[in-house]
Order: sequence, then C-alpha cells, then structure tokens
Amino acid sequence: MPKLPGPNSPRVVINVDGADVEVPSDTNLLEALRTVGIETPHFCYHRDLPLSGNCRQCLVETDGPRGMALTIACYTPIRAGMKVATPASSEKVKKARKAVMEFQLVNHPLDCPICDKAGECMLQENYMQAGQGESRIREDIGKKYHGAPEHRFEDAKHQDRGGKAVDLGPRVVLDEERCILCDRCSRFMHHVANDEQLIISYRGDHAYISTFPGKQLDHPYDLNVTDICPVGALTSKDFRFKHRVWNLKRTPSIDPTDSLGTNLWIEHDGGRVYRIMPRCNAEVNRSWIANSSRAAYAALGENRLLGGYAQGKAIKSTDAMRSILEILQAPGKIALVASGHLTLEDNTALLELKNALGDRATVYGGSWLPVAKPDSIALSGDPVANRAGVTLLGIADNLDQLISDIHNYATLLVVGNDLWGANPDKAKALLAIPNRIAFSAWNDATVKASTLALGINAWAEIRGAMINSQGRLQLLNASPTAPADDLEPAWKVLARLAGTDWETDIQAWAATRKRIPALGELRYSDIPSEGVVLKLDGGKV
Amino acid sequence: MTSPKILTGNFGKGAQELSVYKSLGGYANISSRLFDLSQFELIDLVQRSGLRGRGGAGFPTGLKWSFVPRNTPKPVYLVVNADEGEPGTFKDHFLMLEDPHRLLEGMLICGWALGVRTAYIYVRGEFLSAIESLNKAIAQAYAAGLLGANIGGSGYALDIYVHRGAGAYICGEETALINSLEGKKGQPRLKPPFPAVSGAWESPTCVNNVETIMALPWILANGPEAYAALGTAKSPGTKVFSVSGDVKRPGVYECALGTPLMEILESQEFCQGTEGELKGVIPGGSSTPVLTAEEARKANLDYEALAAMGTMLGSGAIIAFNNKRTVVSMLKSLTRFYAHESCGQCTPCREGTGYADRVLSAVTKGKGRDGDLELLLDLAANFTPTTICPLAAADAGPIESFLKKFRSDFEAEIARNPERAEERLNPNFRPGAFW
Repeated sequence: MPKLPGPNSPRVVINVDGADVEVPSDTNLLEALRTVGIETPHFCYHRDLPLSGNCRQCLVETDGPRGMALTIACYTPIRAGMKVATPASSEKVKKARKAVMEFQLVNHPLDCPICDKAGECMLQENYMQAGQGESRIREDIGKKYHGAPEHRFEDAKHQDRGGKAVDLGPRVVLDEERCILCDRCSRFMHHVANDEQLIISYRGDHAYISTFPGKQLDHPYDLNVTDICPVGALTSKDFRFKHRVWNLKRTPSIDPTDSLGTNLWIEHDGGRVYRIMPRCNAEVNRSWIANSSRAAYAALGENRLLGGYAQGKAIKSTDAMRSILEILQAPGKIALVASGHLTLEDNTALLELKNALGDRATVYGGSWLPVAKPDSIALSGDPVANRAGVTLLGIADNLDQLISDIHNYATLLVVGNDLWGANPDKAKALLAIPNRIAFSAWNDATVKASTLALGINAWAEIRGAMINSQGRLQLLNASPTAPADDLEPAWKVLARLAGTDWETDIQAWAATRKRIPALGELRYSDIPSEGVVLKLDGGKV
Repeated sequence: MTSPKILTGNFGKGAQELSVYKSLGGYANISSRLFDLSQFELIDLVQRSGLRGRGGAGFPTGLKWSFVPRNTPKPVYLVVNADEGEPGTFKDHFLMLEDPHRLLEGMLICGWALGVRTAYIYVRGEFLSAIESLNKAIAQAYAAGLLGANIGGSGYALDIYVHRGAGAYICGEETALINSLEGKKGQPRLKPPFPAVSGAWESPTCVNNVETIMALPWILANGPEAYAALGTAKSPGTKVFSVSGDVKRPGVYECALGTPLMEILESQEFCQGTEGELKGVIPGGSSTPVLTAEEARKANLDYEALAAMGTMLGSGAIIAFNNKRTVVSMLKSLTRFYAHESCGQCTPCREGTGYADRVLSAVTKGKGRDGDLELLLDLAANFTPTTICPLAAADAGPIESFLKKFRSDFEAEIARNPERAEERLNPNFRPGAFW
C-alpha cells in the first residue's frame, strides 16, 4: 500500500514548476502534490491498494541523473530539493498525458450516455483535464468486438466473453469493452479481500478481467470493485440502470449494522435512498465497505412502520401516543429496553423517561443477536453498532435478567431493539407481560408481538452520535428520505413521554453530554468527519 | 581477422557429453583456479575483462555483479536468461544445444562470485531440444560431482534447475522473467528495486544472458586481459551473431566485436554473401532500428559504433533483406509481433502497439490514407519514455526507422488507395462534444 502523509510527516521543500513548496516527505509524489493543491490524473493508483503503476496517466517530469525525465508520480519518492514539472510548466508532460489518454480511449467505447459510471467516471474527469484532443481513431482501427453480438466468443474456460454484460457473479456485471485494465479490481480481491477471485486473462489489448474457470465473483466485499472501477466496466447489478449519479445527493453517515461503524455516504434523490457508498476513513474502514452494510439501504424503503399500531391494527400515531402515555401513567412496574442500534441521544432520552417514571421503571440493555469475529476489513462482527455508547451511558447488558424478572412487570417498552427478531425463543417469555409497547422504524417481529407500537425515524433520517468498537465517536446525519412526514426520531418521542421540552437534537445531545463526561463540551460541529476517539480514562476530548 | 572461438569453439564436437567437454579443456576452471579467488577478486577480474551483457542492453557484467549485496541473510539467486524471444535471434538456442556444459561451468563461476546456492536456467518453452540437452548435462555434472554439495572438494554447493518458460517474449525482460519463475504472470515489475537487490522471492538475484555466462570459463582460463584485448576498447570480446534473411548461408557465427557488418554478410568464413541486392539490415534483433544498405556497409558490429548510427547491437540478430522484400509487410509483421506480445500492463504499450498495428494493417490492405505515416510516427514517439519496460520502445524503434529510411515504399503503398485523401476524420465527430 502506498504510504500516505499524516499530520506528523516530516516536511521537505521541493520545487514544483519553478516554485518551492513544502510537502510531506514520507509519501509518493502524487500524494505530496495533492497536499499543495495539485491533483494528478490517474487510474490505477488507489490510496488503499498496492501500487501497480500501469496506467501511466500520472506522468510528471522529475530531475534525475540524466536531466528531467518522465516518471509516474505515484511511484516517485520525495527527495528534498527535487525538481518536478507538471503540465503547468512542461509541454512534454502535457503531451505525454494527452497521449496516454488517447491510448486509453482507443479501445474504450463512447457510450457515456448509457453508462452507469457517467458522472463519476475517472476517464471522463481525466479527459477533461489531460485529454481533449481531436479524435484520430477511425472506425476500421478500433477493437473488433465492441458490443456487437457477432463478436461474442467463448474463451478457453467456456465463459461467454466479449459482451457488454458479462456475468461475473451474483452481484457484479462486467462490460468488457469499457475496461481499461487498470488492475484495481484484481488487486482489491487479492490484497484486501484476500481471495483472488478476479484475474486479468491474456495480455496486451486482448486482455480481459476474468474469474477462474467455473468460479464466480462472490465475496462479502465484492461490490467494492464497482466503486474502485475507474470506468463503467464493473457495475453493481443492484444499482445499474437505476439512477443517474449526478442527480444523487449524498449525506455522510455511518453503518448502523455493525459496531465498527463503517463510514458511508447515503446517496439519495427525491426522498429515496438509491445506494450506499463507502466514505473514506483511514482509521476505520479505509475505502471499503461490506456488501451487508451497503445492503442496509434497501431496508430503508421496505416494511417501514408508519404511524401507530394497536393489536395489529393501524391507528393514528397521535392515538398511539395517547394510549402509550395512559399505560405508562397507570400503576404497575415498567421494563424499559434500550437499544445499541440507536444513537446516544435516543438512549439518553430513554434514561430521561426512566427518571420521570422513577422507581416504577427499570432499564435493561443488550442484544440477543449473535456476535461474529472481526474480518479485519470493515466489519467488527458485532451487529450492535452503538454497544460501546450504551455501555458508557451506564446501561447494563442484562436482557437475560429481564426474562427472570418478568413477573415484576406490567409493561414492557422496547425502543428500536428487535427482541423477537433476534431470538424468538427467548423473547416469547416476554409475552407474559400484559402491556407490550414497541418503538421501531420497521414493522418487525417485535412490533408484531406488541400490543401497542409506534413508528420512528430510521438511522438514515436522523442526526445522532454513536461510539464504535474503537471508542470512536461518529455522527449519523439526516438525509431527507423519511417515508412519512410525521415520523419522529426515537429521542423526540421518548423525551415527550418523559415530559422534557426537547425540540432539537442539539438539546438531546446536550443531555447526552451531561451523562458522559468524556464527551466534554463537544458540539456536533466539533466532531470531524472521521470521528473522534474518546478518552475513556476520565479525560476529556 | 580471425578471432578465437570463445563460445562456439565446441560446436559440432559432441561437447554435450561431459567426457568430450572435459577432453576439450572443460571444467578446468572448477579447481583451485576458481576456488582460490575471493568473491571480490573474481568480480574484479570480470570487470577487468570488460565483459558486457549479451542479452541486448550491453550492461557491464562485473558492475552488475557488484550491485548484488554481500553478507545478506537472504539467499542470492542466479537466473540465466535463456528466454530467447527476440525475432531473428537464435544464438542461445544453439549455444545450449551444442555446449551445455560451458553454460554450467559459467554458472559455477558466477555462482562462486556471488555466493549463489541455487541457480535457475529460465529457458524458453519451445526449446525442447535445448532443454533436453541441458537436463542431460546437469545430470552428468551432478553425477561427476560438479554440481550439488561440495563441488570439486571445495565445500561449495550449487544446485541448478531448468525452468521452462511458456514462450512469452516479455519474459525475456528480467523482472517479468522473475515473476514468471515465481509462478506469477510474466509482467515486468516497477523498478526500483532492481533484481540485484530484490528479485526472485524478494531476494538478491543476478539475471544474466546465456552468452554472457558462457564467456566466463574462457575469461577465467585465459585471463581478463586476453579477453579485453579482443574486440574494441569499449566493446571487448567476441559476440555470437544470429544471421538470417537474404544471405547465402544464414547461421550462428562468432566474431570479435567491432567486426564490420559486411564482413559477416560477405566473407567466406561466415555468410558468403547476400542473396539479391541488399536493401537493408536489421543489426541486432527486431527491436533495433533498421539500417539501409548504404549504412550497413559502413557499420561495425560493436555497441558504440551502432549506437552512433542510431541503432543498437542488441542481441546480435542480423536480419538482412534484399530489394525484393516489401518493407511495409516486414514492418507490419513486427508491429503485429509487438501488439501480440505486449504484456498488457502499461496503457501506451497495451493499447498503442495494437493501435499502430491496426493503422499499418489498413495501409497494407490498400486502405491507407494521407496522414497515416505521421500518425504512426506520433504514436511511436508517444511509446518511448512512458512505460515500465522497453517493449513499447522496441516497437517504436522499427516503426520510426522504417518510416524514416524507406518512406517512399510506405507512400507508394498508401497511394494504392484511391480514397487516400479523404478526410480521415468526420469533422462533426468529436468525443468532447458529448462531455
């Protein structure tokens, strides 16, 4: 993997286009130039993949023993005092980059209007910067099989080749003529996924991306190859032909399905989430995201709990609230079940409700979902995303205790914790509690087992904080994608039940800070996009 | 001038047999003559001989050896590059076929100099008879105690393995060869690190051509000064040339460097004259720029003289052609070769060699248009400084030189197309317009 500059990188002065600039010295020239605002076009270079140096697009001139010579910026180490020429000062570099761009396009089809990558295609971007030449390619000297059915062929492994849609596996489709053979996908599978499922077969311009004979591209991280593909060669079956990417808006958030809290972008348009893309965070998930985290978007539009439910029948949410309030005000002990799937603010609000109810209520926490091993890519294996945060709020992991205390309670209130979905065998004991109230974003098994239920906002629709398995405080952000206007975040519903005057998430956050000293005076705007690691030994951030 | 036959002296004498090779003076070096020398003395001796790599680049062999680190905890490997793939070159094939023990003896010398315990001969896969000959020689050498543990009672141990390549031209490039040897796809590596520091299995590796290694026994037996006295001052020694094309007696010939090109083509000792009227000569293998007949008459076969004429000695593959040959088709077969053999890593080579080949293909089919030659020259210019290995540059060499020296032939070919002046571009068709 290339060495990336950090805040503690030693700095040296180099000469770029005649001007002295200070750059970090422990990285490659491409990254160093980036720190001084010079972007170098490239295809094969990726900061989280081993270097390949094959695309040759990042050519610059550097001084060497034989004078200024063309080198690739991604593979050039920094040397104090070195002279670098970019296209800004060197016609040679400009011409060389333009030539490489022409070569890239020799065998690349001009089907941007129907290409899913159009709008986020590195070939388009780099063309605008490095190319822009009159085409010298004429019809009879292009590659022969472009898209035409008669040019399809069966390769030595009896796979159907040469097509616009080569089926690589359950999730990924390859368009062979768009492929520029940058090698990113096979390097990802080899070095990151640690499962060499993709290879480049053959050589020269007749090379193509392939799987092994009889094998498919099928890996829990395989959709990452569609992200890192600089062109529209590898596309996701799920997203292709769904939406033009330039219409998508993106909201930064984190993965609510795993306690590593993989950083991601929620990409949405017109109130609907179309896909989830990885958001680079060198300390958490680098540029990678598991297929399971990516698939979480689909649930946002499916099986949502809108409004209230009583005994399985839809009712108005105001009526549901009134009924819930009545039950809580009636005598009898109440078991409140917190959730590590919800934010710190939501759980704080639950604790406020406990305070309001006094001795009648007891808070339980935890999850019955099984915990897997970390995969050292972008999953911790623990499906309870905010487990560390819930623990910091002082909520114990004592769901099993609830089972044994069951006869003490007249009312069970579960917030965003699908107990019946996680372990129906254990959960069925809870049916002994007469009043079962559930707040959930989905019409899940717990809602179905409840006597009263109310829909709340899902993770993509709220702002809030979670603490991941590294002790890192990270923010979820609200995308305008709620399926119904009257849905409210869990903290707001709970706070109203508790009788507080919270109107905004900032007030909920302020209450959270009071309960967790390590958060200090941190405001939402103080939390950087890569999150902040809390000092849990009593110190403040 | 008749120079000693340093490398081809045993040809036709049955030297494949160990006993015959020994009776011709072979393996005399594998004695105190070698084992009394320290590594430094031996490398210094090779440096003084002035021996240069015979694979094509002509890099000084002793200097290359001096880059290999000493006292490293990693093993040092010697890899003999016998992946002879350059069109026109067939010397290594015959050297291995006729005199395999000389190669083994040379490897023992190099192995001693660098502290090598394991050495490989990476042979082009098609050379079945040469592989057979090598394997037989290796078996005999093991049986005679010349390979394996405690060679010649010296305590030195060397194992030699023959590795069959799969016939890719690019595997003649040393880092691609190492990748292939490791079982990976034969594609050149980014440099640095160079193989001398981190080569096979990330260990120091010395890659030398067959002919280079085979010169070592003579140098050790006769002294570096005797070797340096041959040839020219900067290109000492002898070189084996593979001569093919329109000559009366094509074949493998050894002569001192600096010998005039025409002497090889015309003397009774070598080719005995050309067939028909000489039109041009490719002096060092397909990658080297072509010489016209006029230039060929002035050319001397050594690194410097040919470099001064804008071409290279390369691997010493001389291809002579007469005026009945169509140079356009000749160049076409070369561009086809490079397009086919490009490993597919670097964009300019992967896409450009095929691009150039298809342009030239249109020309040979009578569909050339005005401006095609300029296009080809521009493509060739864009190959040169921009790739990991010199394969694309090896394509550019012939394109540029053929077009420069035989331009009228190409223009005549384009003139066959009645629509040659037609606008090559549709002016309304601009990729940029979409974006």
